[in-house]
This record gives sequence, C-alpha cells and structure tokens, in this order.
Amino acid sequence: MELYQKTASELSSLLQSKEISSVELTKAVFARTAQVEDTVGAYISTDEEAALARAAQIDEKRAAGEELSPLAGIPIAVKDNICTKGTATTCASKMLENFVPFYNATVVDKLNEEGLVITGKTNLDEFAMGSSCENSALQTTRNPHNPAHVPGGSSGGSAAVVAAGETPLAVGSDTGGSIRQPASFCGVVGLKPTYGTVSRYGLIAFASSLDQIGPMARSVEDAALLADVLRGADPMHDSTSIPREYDSLHAKLDPDMKGVRIGLPKEYFGEGIDAEVSKAVLDAAEVYRGLGAEIVELSLPLSKYALPIYYILSSAEASSNLARFDGVKYGYRTQKADDLIDLYVKSRSEAFGPEVQRRIMLGTYVLSSGYYDAYYKKARAAQRAIRADYAKAFEQVDVILTPTAPTTAYQIGEKTDDPLQMYMGDICTVSVNIAGLPGLVQPCGFDSGRMPIGMQLIGPRFGEQKLLNAGLAFERATGLTDLVAL
Amino acid sequence: MIHYEPVIGLEVHAELSTKTKIFCGCSTQFGAPINTHVCPVCSGQPGALPVLNKQVVHYAAKMGVATHCQINQLCKSDRKNYFYPDLPKAYQISQFDVPICENGYVDFLVDGKPKRVRFERIHFEEDAGKLLHDEGEGTVVDFNRCGVPLIEMVTKPDIHSSAEAKEFLETVKTTLSYLQISDCRMEEGSIRCDVNVSVRPEGTEELGTRVEMKNINSFSAAVRAIDYEVERQIEVLEEGGKIVQETRRWDDSKVKNLVMRSKEDAQDYRYFPDPDLIAVEIDDEWMKQIESEIPELPQSRFDRYVNDLGLTPKEARTLSDSFEKACLVDDGAAMGRVSARALANWVLSDISKYLNDKQMELSDTKLTAEKLVAMVELIEKNVISGNAGKKVLVKLFETEDSVDQIVEDLGLKQMSDEGAIEALVDEVLAANSKSIEDYKGGKKNVVGFLVGQCMKASKGKGNPKMINQMLAKKLAER
Amino acid sequence: MAITTQDIAYIAGLARLDPHGEGFDKLAEDMQGIVAMVDQLQELDLGDITDVIDTERKNALREDVEIPSYPSEEILKNAPVVECGGVSVPRVVE
Repeated sequence: MELYQKTASELSSLLQSKEISSVELTKAVFARTAQVEDTVGAYISTDEEAALARAAQIDEKRAAGEELSPLAGIPIAVKDNICTKGTATTCASKMLENFVPFYNATVVDKLNEEGLVITGKTNLDEFAMGSSCENSALQTTRNPHNPAHVPGGSSGGSAAVVAAGETPLAVGSDTGGSIRQPASFCGVVGLKPTYGTVSRYGLIAFASSLDQIGPMARSVEDAALLADVLRGADPMHDSTSIPREYDSLHAKLDPDMKGVRIGLPKEYFGEGIDAEVSKAVLDAAEVYRGLGAEIVELSLPLSKYALPIYYILSSAEASSNLARFDGVKYGYRTQKADDLIDLYVKSRSEAFGPEVQRRIMLGTYVLSSGYYDAYYKKARAAQRAIRADYAKAFEQVDVILTPTAPTTAYQIGEKTDDPLQMYMGDICTVSVNIAGLPGLVQPCGFDSGRMPIGMQLIGPRFGEQKLLNAGLAFERATGLTDLVAL
Repeated sequence: MIHYEPVIGLEVHAELSTKTKIFCGCSTQFGAPINTHVCPVCSGQPGALPVLNKQVVHYAAKMGVATHCQINQLCKSDRKNYFYPDLPKAYQISQFDVPICENGYVDFLVDGKPKRVRFERIHFEEDAGKLLHDEGEGTVVDFNRCGVPLIEMVTKPDIHSSAEAKEFLETVKTTLSYLQISDCRMEEGSIRCDVNVSVRPEGTEELGTRVEMKNINSFSAAVRAIDYEVERQIEVLEEGGKIVQETRRWDDSKVKNLVMRSKEDAQDYRYFPDPDLIAVEIDDEWMKQIESEIPELPQSRFDRYVNDLGLTPKEARTLSDSFEKACLVDDGAAMGRVSARALANWVLSDISKYLNDKQMELSDTKLTAEKLVAMVELIEKNVISGNAGKKVLVKLFETEDSVDQIVEDLGLKQMSDEGAIEALVDEVLAANSKSIEDYKGGKKNVVGFLVGQCMKASKGKGNPKMINQMLAKKLAER
Repeated sequence: MAITTQDIAYIAGLARLDPHGEGFDKLAEDMQGIVAMVDQLQELDLGDITDVIDTERKNALREDVEIPSYPSEEILKNAPVVECGGVSVPRVVE
C-alpha cells in the first residue's frame, strides 16, 4: 500500500514510530497530486515549498523529542473560502481571484498549532453556493471515482483531494450539505459539527447562522481526530461559538451498538430518492440491527418545508454577507465606471457568477419591504418548528439514519441549466443546518455505475460522539474505508 | 393670516467614550493618522466577525435610565443594509425593532418655563467611516471611525421652536457628560443630529408633511437649519404650495438646504437580526449596577442651587451645566467643612474665569474639591486673606502641591497675632499724626488710608479685619 | 406570490446588480421557479407568528480592552485603488 492511500491514523503511527518522516509523506502526496491533479482538478492553489518547509520543521521537532499532537506532520488541504494569511483565498470567484488575506481563520491557526501541514486550497462552488463544484468560476473539479461525474459541492475540492489520495485530510464548510453531499459523492467521510462548536472566524461567510466548518477524511477515526483539532470556543472572535468543555471525540470512540436506538424518518425514503440509494441506506440499518442496535421508524413531518426554509434563510443572509464585495476595498473592480453606483453595479455584475447573483436576488427579495413577513419572518418561525420536530425525534432515538443525497454523483453538465433541479439535491441535508445539528456522512456502498453512496447519521446538538461511535461501528462491520479512487 | 406652529423631532447621535470600538478591540481615539485604528473586523474583511463591547451596552442603558426610559433587558442587534463607501460591510449593525431603551423623556427650562421632550427610543449602533474629498477626482475613505460606538436618541415630535431644540440638545449633552459616557466634543463630531420638521396651523392637531434634514454638525447649525426650514415650509404653504416628503441636506456655510432624496427613493434597508451576534440580556443585577451609577442630574442640581443656595438662575445654570463644576461644589460641601455657598462663589468667579481665559475644562487642571475646601477653610479661619486665596488657587490649578505647602512657599500666612497687629498700628499712627488730626476733624475716610499703610507696613500679611478693628479702637482712644 | 419584472428590477437595484447585464434575462426567468419553490412555505400554517429573540444563547460580550490594530498597509493591500493612505472611489457627491 502506498503512503497516499493510508488513513491519517495509520500515517500518524508511522510518523510517531519514525518509520516515515513528514517530509517523506508530504513528498508522497505531492507526487500523487502531480499524477492525478490534471484529471481531478481539485486544488485551486498548492504550495509545495511551504508544505515541505513546514514538514521539515515538524520532523525536527519530533527528532528533538518534542511532544507533538497526533496529527502533527500530516498533510491537509483547506477549502478556499477559509482565510489563510499570505495565501490567496478566492472563494472560487472572479471577485476574489487575487485576494490575499492578512489574517488567518481561527481553524487555520489551530491546524498550524497542532502541526498539520497545509498543502493547498481546494475548489468549491463560488462562495460555497452550489452542490456540484460546477459553479466554481475558476476550474472544473472531477469525481475521482469517475472523472465524467461531479465531485459534489460545495466542498467538492476537499472531498476530491481526499478521495484521490492527494491528501489524507481536508477541511470543508457546510451551510446546507456542503461537506456531507460531496463526501457522499466521492466516497469519503465528512462531519458537519453542531453549529457553534467550530469557530467561523475567517470563514468567508455565506449564511452566518448555518455555516459550519468541519473535517473530511478517509475514515471515521480520522474525522474524529481532525474534529478534535477544529472544535473549540473562540469568544474573542466569534460570538456564535459556544463556550463549553470540548472533550476529545477520538479518545472516547466506542463502536458498541447494543441498545443504541437508530431512527429511520419515513420522509427520507420516499419519492424523489433513488431506489439504489434508499436500498443502500436501509441495508446499513440492517447492519446496525445486526450489531445490536434498535431500529425505530419515525416521522419528521416538516421535512418537506426544509428546502424553502433553507433557501429563504441562507439567501437572505448571503445577500447581506456578500454586499461587502463592492469593488471598493478588495477584490474585483470594474475597469470602467461612470460614478460610484456604476462602480458597484458593474463590479458586482461582472465578478459574481450566475448562481451567486440568483441567491443575492432571492435573498434581497425575501428581506425587502413588503415581503419580509411572508418569507424571512415565516422561515424563522418554521425553523423553530423544525428544531422542535428534531427535539421530539431525539426523545425516541439516539441517532437518525438517512440518505445524504437523492442520487449518487451525476454527470458534469447534467443539471447546470436548471438551478431548481440542483436545489432539489439538497433535500436530505439542509434541515440539519436549519436545526443546527451535527451530521456525519460516510460511504455505505456503490450504485450500479460504481459511484459511491453515502449515508447520513444525524445527532442531537453536541451529539458528535454518538455519531462517530455509530459511524465507526458501521465502518468496522463493513470494511468500507480506504476508498482511494483512480 | 394663518399662524403656523413648527413641529420638530430630533435624532441625536452621540459617540460613546469607550476605549475600544463596538465590535473589535481597535482604539476609538480621535485624530489618528488615516487607517491606523483598523483591523479585519472594522474594515469589513471577508470572514471577520463582530463581538459586542460590553461597555457599549452598559453606557446605552445608563443613558436610558437617566432619561426615564423603559429598558428592554433582552434586546438584539440588527443589520441595516445599504451601499456606501464609508460602510465597509455594506451594512450597519444597529438595533431595529427591539432597541435597548424606549419611551423616556427629559425635562428642562426654556426661557424659565418647564419643557418636556419625550424619547421614542435609544439604541446602540456602529459609526461609519469618514469620506475625505481630495483635490483630485476621487473620494478617499478613512476607516478609523468605522465601528466607533454610537447611541442614537430619537425624540417624539415634541419640539416647537429652534430655541426649544437648542435647549433640548444642551440638556442631552449635559446629561451625557454627567453620565461620563460621551466626550461630547462637538468639534470632533461626537454629537450630531438629524432634524425632522413639519409645520401646521396653530391650534390644529394633525401633523403636517415632514421633511428630514441631515448633515447638521453643531447645535447652532441646528437652530439655523430649523429656522430656515420652518420659514421655507411656511412660504411654500402661503404660496398655495404643498410640502413634499423628502430628505434635504443642510449646508451651514450657505445657510440653506437642498433636496437629497425624495420619498420615492426612500431607502429599503432590509433590516434583519444580525446572525453573527446573539441576544443581549441585562439581568437585574446588572440593572442595579447601572442604576447605582446615575449621579444627581443637572435639573435637580439646578433647582437645589436656586432654592437652597439662593443662586440666581443664571449662576445655578453655570454650575449645573458642568458636571465638573457642580461636583466641585457638591462634593466639597459634602465634606462638611465649608459652606456650599462659599464654594459656589469661588467656582462662579475665579475658577470660571480661569477656565474661560485658558479655554480649559476642570479636568484639564489639577484642582480638586478637597484642595478647594482646604483653601476656603484657611480664608474662613483668617489664616490667609481672600486675596491670598486667589494666588493659592492659581497654584492649585497648575501644581500637585498641597494648600499648606503653597501658602508656605508663597509666604501668604496672615499676621493675626493681636500684639503684633497692635504694634503695627501704633507704628503707623505714630508716623501719621496728620491723619489722626484729620480723623478727629471729621474726615472719617482717612481710616482707609491708614489701613492701607498698615497693610503696606505688614507687606500685605496683616489680617485686614483685625487691622480695621485695632485702628478703630486706637483712634477712638485718642 | 409571483415575482414581477418590476420586482426584479427593483431588487437588482437594491442589490447593486445590473438588470441589463449578460445573462440577466435567464436569471429573471430562473427567479420565477425559485420563488415558486420557496412559496411552498406558505402552505405551512404556523398560526400567528411573532418575531421572537432567539434566547438559546445570550451575552457573548467582550470587555472594553484595547487590542493593537493592524498596519494600514495590510488593510490596503488588497484595495484596487489607493490614494492618500485610503481606498479611493469615484467622487461622492452628497
């Protein structure tokens, strides 16, 4: 087995026993990148020199006997909507193509403190708006399992680098499924943490009340290790980050499923969900039953309103969050403006892609005078109702099991003309963000076209441990891991 | 001819005197070089997030309590969305439907008559940056002021003349300075106001169409702007015209206003709760703390100065208008060693004159209530003369020295020893026999001359009262 | 609530987007479908809705303590046009 195929946990052992060095490992993943990146196109930028220098530093520390954290020396890719000081952070937009932040996101500081080796920045749908990476204004990313197919989105680049063996770990962000759906499409593990448990400082905001940064990895154990690095309160920088004790998830991993109650919400297995996908997830439920879990059928009656609620709330916030991109302080400025308003209009119209403009338009509409009550205010009330729905469900079960997306990864270009059809692809993931819950996605099989199918485990607030425990149990039972493609 | 009554409402913005900005740790210090008090948060960098300064909440609530507002102990922050170069995020974080304070009022006097103006609301928000218009073709943006905390105070349309508006503004300013929550430096723009004006035939209740005026940068400009706008509206109506609901920009140098925007392009600010911030709760304990910090306010002190100290309204106003002056008198009197009246006399005369001449505030000097009391006490105990007191005062403004030290250094201690005074008087009388003759001949005014001679002989240290008494006694004996 | 052409022009104005720009016609067309989708929410009866303050968490507050600012060069590094130490825009006539 090549180094690039190994999980972070395996690599961590090899590094700690000094069987390999971080420089060796970093060279190996960059060699792999050189080999596959023309096909995959997952990275917007890489910095091999900086990565190797960093790896050498970690090796030196290890040689000097310094105590290092488990992921020290492990390469990691970061989604290109997370600010990295001195390195372009583009949001895959013409608007920020040349934008170089002068400060680090809190999570980037954490990666550095823990000694991870940042390899580069990964592609996404422009400003994280989309589900296929096709809305990237900068490049096309392809699914490592079949380059004719999309990797999913918006964290498609982060999913693809992990699936293609370009790094063992990546950081993504999830507003309505942007970690989970590409994880499902690319056959990797992705965790969307409870809202407020990972600092958003330095994550270029799409929808502030829904955005959450999380880990993408090749195994549940790896996802737990990376989640432990990313999580934590950030009271000086993020008012929405929650001050509480963040115990190590990895340390408490426990795959015992006896007596664990797993809910199957009927709304997630009906019309609109591919039969192969439904079957794979229901098969997973049987695996759990075999492991001693109790399978409970339940209902989340408001599920069908999740999509409108999500598109109202996320677009409203986006219309405000993206207003700062006006051609004045940073980013793209039009070459020819008659006056100030002309400068705003042209800079924004020329630099934002069509999907971003659609969301800004929708968001402006639902907040505008005369429509606020019918849309925004109602969506907020419906959000509270959805939260109550879930709270009730979690009185009956420990975790909820659902598909991640109605289909497996589709072909590039298949849905680009019809934004609505694209939005429908988010129906299984958005309610988790609306309710602020954690969601874990991991591979549970393949469809007839050999494209990965991902299952989603949803937990109560702060229920990450339950999710990861269940995820680990499934992984151990089925051996569905180490799915490096290509 | 119809007589028109102006109906005026004000929106007053005051910068709060916190050390740091409302949502980041940058300094609020005025006058820094361009773009040097700036960070990712206040310059609206992508990914930066706000964290609310606790002191802003505290100060805003303090103003609410001092103006009899209902405090919304649970409130939130909202975004007001609009594009402008001085607003780097393209939204201002403010408060919309649940302001921190609602439904208050202030009382004050206009030409000696009591007046009450009600507040609709007081809320906190962030200031915008400054636009600098250079010689060239562009406008340059300075972000230093972005994120400086403001409170916006919105009145009900209770004001009916520019004179009332001016007194109201003065009252707000005095209250802010009593609460020590704003520097109130007008020349630095730390208090600004927008004015809403309409007129209606006197005696009618229905409000006329209202015009909003912006860009009013001083209280005197507010007076000019109101007078101008009232006159303009009356003229329009007299000529059979109609007032158009619009926003006009006041140009104080030209003493006129021009249309900025009409009602049709009224802004649609798309307010919504800021998802980057969470609810603010002032619990009962915090409320108690805030309430305990409210000092006795100017109107109450004014009344006391007139009724208890017997000051004229003008004198009382001079004291009550200045928190520092009022405290000098009240804190000094509270020590129970000298009378409030004596202190007030000093503050109204020599102290006010010194501050005026030097263009200083009391806090720019080293004078304290404790030292003023010590000085006045020495005069009352005849240790120094009133004149010497004036000399001591100058030193008290400028040095840290104690009163005793200054008296010692300047050699101001009075000669109050009876034997010494008697010797002095005897000496002077012996040298001025002509004056004694004159006195006996009925020229009583020679006493003044003789006192002067005694003072001169004592090098100014003789206690004038004792010299007077001694002279009277000695002359009577002759 | 169907969205009218007038609405779209109005919203574009608020959002500072160009309703005459390339591809905007398609965008306006897409908006019809998207608004119809979010309108499904209108079927949901939640009774009288009052705006409530989310009180799940309260008081993420910072003490009034100064933190050093950033050098102005950093702030201006990404600015398209800088003059006299600040970002420059076409002259604003108030």
